Amino acid sequence: MIRKEAIGIISKKIGNQSIVAANGFISRDLFEINDKNSNFYMIGSMGLASSIGLGLALKNPKKRFFIFDGDGNVLMNLGSLATIGATEPKNLVHIVFDNSSHESTGGQPTISKKIDIHSIAKTLKYKTYKATTKNELENILRKIKKIKCPILILIKISKSKTTSKRVDIDAIKIKQRFMESLSNSS
Amino acid sequence: MKAIIQKKVFNYLLKNEVKNFIGVPDSTMKHFIDEGLKKNKILITTREEEAIGIAAGMSMSKSNSLVFMQNAGFANSISTITSLVQLYEIPMIFLIGWRGFLKNDAPEHAKIGKIQPKILQALSLQSKVLNEKNWKTSSDWALKLIKSGKPCALILIRDFID
Repeated sequence: MIRKEAIGIISKKIGNQSIVAANGFISRDLFEINDKNSNFYMIGSMGLASSIGLGLALKNPKKRFFIFDGDGNVLMNLGSLATIGATEPKNLVHIVFDNSSHESTGGQPTISKKIDIHSIAKTLKYKTYKATTKNELENILRKIKKIKCPILILIKISKSKTTSKRVDIDAIKIKQRFMESLSNSS
Repeated sequence: MKAIIQKKVFNYLLKNEVKNFIGVPDSTMKHFIDEGLKKNKILITTREEEAIGIAAGMSMSKSNSLVFMQNAGFANSISTITSLVQLYEIPMIFLIGWRGFLKNDAPEHAKIGKIQPKILQALSLQSKVLNEKNWKTSSDWALKLIKSGKPCALILIRDFID
């Protein structure tokens, strides 16, 4: 499975629930495959998708927030996983697309082949899942529907040769339409 | 700044609809943070950038946020300020301790203390230095700015050596 396929499966399955998408190819794939007002595309500030998602989750306890993250992002801001574990939001689903590489910057390796992000999250009080196939991913998405604790889904993806177009919406517009989607869906 | 004034600043901001106080502690503002801890309003993060990310999520939920940090942490945060807070125009108040203000402060604070005003200026991040006379008008200024959607900074001078 490549990242774009996994992103397509999840974003279609979860309807209009909010997604905070990490900068780089993750945001670009989501933008190309299923653009919605409820997608918050990060342009800069690598590593902070999970922090932004935590702030949203804590302030909107009746809504569920999905974080689309990468292995490089997670490793850059591991402290955020600890804060999420400690604050225990019941409405946060942290999805990590793990290709063991910084694909957005040219495919340099990350250390996720040697360091198990899934185990780290488990230690930090997440309920954790692992998927490598589309079937496994779809099963997990069904299973997590009623779980009320921070959830991490590690999806092993293969590197892809296709690149999605850049997010061409202005950052302020991204924020405005995301905020509107937050107040409309309550 | 005296303990009693620091507590007053905290309570004034809280009373005026600042709902979230997130950051990494600084001894310069110990009494501000202690007052918040007593009232169960403080979220301490592992790093300053993380605090800004959380505050951004809260601010987009229309809940006013303050991020506190030492100036060492402010230096860590520059890219997050430019590429998240300013790029998306997300309002929040930064409360930044000013180590290195006194000439005889510890050596690790000397350089950042010296260039701190220049960094704020280069970032075009509007700021005011708090003191025991202006704390209320400065707080009002910051509250007004975040209510109009703009980030800003309040600076707390380190006026003692320990």
